[in-house]
Order: sequence, then C-alpha cells, then structure tokens
Amino acid sequence: MRAIGKGSLASILAVGLHITRVILWVGFVGLSIAMVIVPLVPFFVDAATGVADVNIDGDVSVDSEDYLNIAHHFVNFGVMLFVVNRLLEILKTLRFGSPFVKENADRFRGVGYALLIGQGALIAFGILSAVFDADIDIDMNPIAWLAIIAVFVLSEVFREGARMKEEQDLTV
Amino acid sequence: MAISVKLDRVLLDRGMSLTELSERVGVTIANLSILKTSKAKAIRFSTLEAICKELNCQPGDILFYGDGETAAE
Repeated sequence: MRAIGKGSLASILAVGLHITRVILWVGFVGLSIAMVIVPLVPFFVDAATGVADVNIDGDVSVDSEDYLNIAHHFVNFGVMLFVVNRLLEILKTLRFGSPFVKENADRFRGVGYALLIGQGALIAFGILSAVFDADIDIDMNPIAWLAIIAVFVLSEVFREGARMKEEQDLTV
Repeated sequence: MAISVKLDRVLLDRGMSLTELSERVGVTIANLSILKTSKAKAIRFSTLEAICKELNCQPGDILFYGDGETAAE
C-alpha cells in the first residue's frame, strides 16, 4: 500500500482525522455549553419552581466535582482538537507538495506544546480532584511524556529538513 | 559583505540573452534568474563551468565578494 497519493495511507489517515475533528467539535461545543449552563442549573430550577434551594433527590445540585469533570473533558477535547487540526494541516502539505516547510516545524512544535499543556492540565486536575474528591481518572503515562519529547525532536527534524530543501531549491 | 553575481553585465557585454544562455548551458531560465538576482545559495562547479565556457569568461568575471556598491563597480 502506498504511503502518499490517492487511496494511500495518508488519504485514509486524513479521512479518519476529518471524522475525528467533527466528533471533537461536537463534543467541544457541547462541553462549552455545559461549562456555562451547568453552574446555572440550580438557579433555573429555583426560578422554574419558584422555591429557593430546591434539591430534587440531590440530582439538581451541581457539585464542584461535577464541574471539575466537565472542565477536565473540556481541556482534553480542546487539546485533541488543536492536535488534530495541526495534523490535518501537515497532511495537507504532504498531499499538495513538500512537507519540509518551516510552517510544519512550527506546527509540530505547537502539537508538542499542546500535549505538554494537556499533561500539565492532567496534573492540575489530579490535584484538584484530590482536593474536591472528584472521580477523575488520573493516569500518568510515561509513554505520553516520551511522545511529547519525540514530537519536539520531530519538529527540529522538520526545521532542518526545510532548511536543506530550501538550500537544494536555491542551488543552481 | 556577500557574494554577488554579475551575470547580467557579462551577458550584456556578450550580447546574449538569458534565454539563449539557458538553452546553451542546459539550465532552466528560472534557475538562471535565481543566480542572476543573487538569490542562489550555492552554485555547482558543472554549472559554473558551463556558463564560463559559453560566455568565454572566468568565474571571477561573474562572482564578486563585497557589498552591493563594491561589486557594482
């Protein structure tokens, strides 16, 4: 199977990433709405019933751990969306010319920073979940940290590749 | 201070166009334009040799080291 071109692995990956992006957008928009709406739910219920501090079997109240869970998923979806968008841009340059351009080096660096922020957020949410007794699965994976380092190295590889490509293009 | 290329001056002296030189040396006009405008990062010995042969000149007649004003003199 070919790596580049029509019906290649790159095309399949691009289709997969496009589908993932749509799913992530839906999730991200949903979580954004939830971030705004959820804290207001008790006020809506109070307003609707006309009685203050209504708590129907405890389901209507919004605890801090619920909000923390939503915030955790919101950050995760944001990071994933950013990474998928950058990967799609990189794939686009691969399909329509040379991938060895400075912009791709910057995109890989962006992916590295996004993953770093994702891991940082994971630590932060881990601390907060301990404080607020929230049920957030904090799984510190060493492979993730190795992947972040690999992405930064890949970024520099692309920067060097772009420099060499430019030199080759300007050699007469 | 940089290397600058004075290919246009030599071409003018020889009464040859860039297109004609391109056909004679087998280098595309786009690449010769890169060379002429001093945008090139490197020049192959084979290209330099072919240009010197067709223009009947020395590499030093085409390439100059100095700032823009020095090279233009």
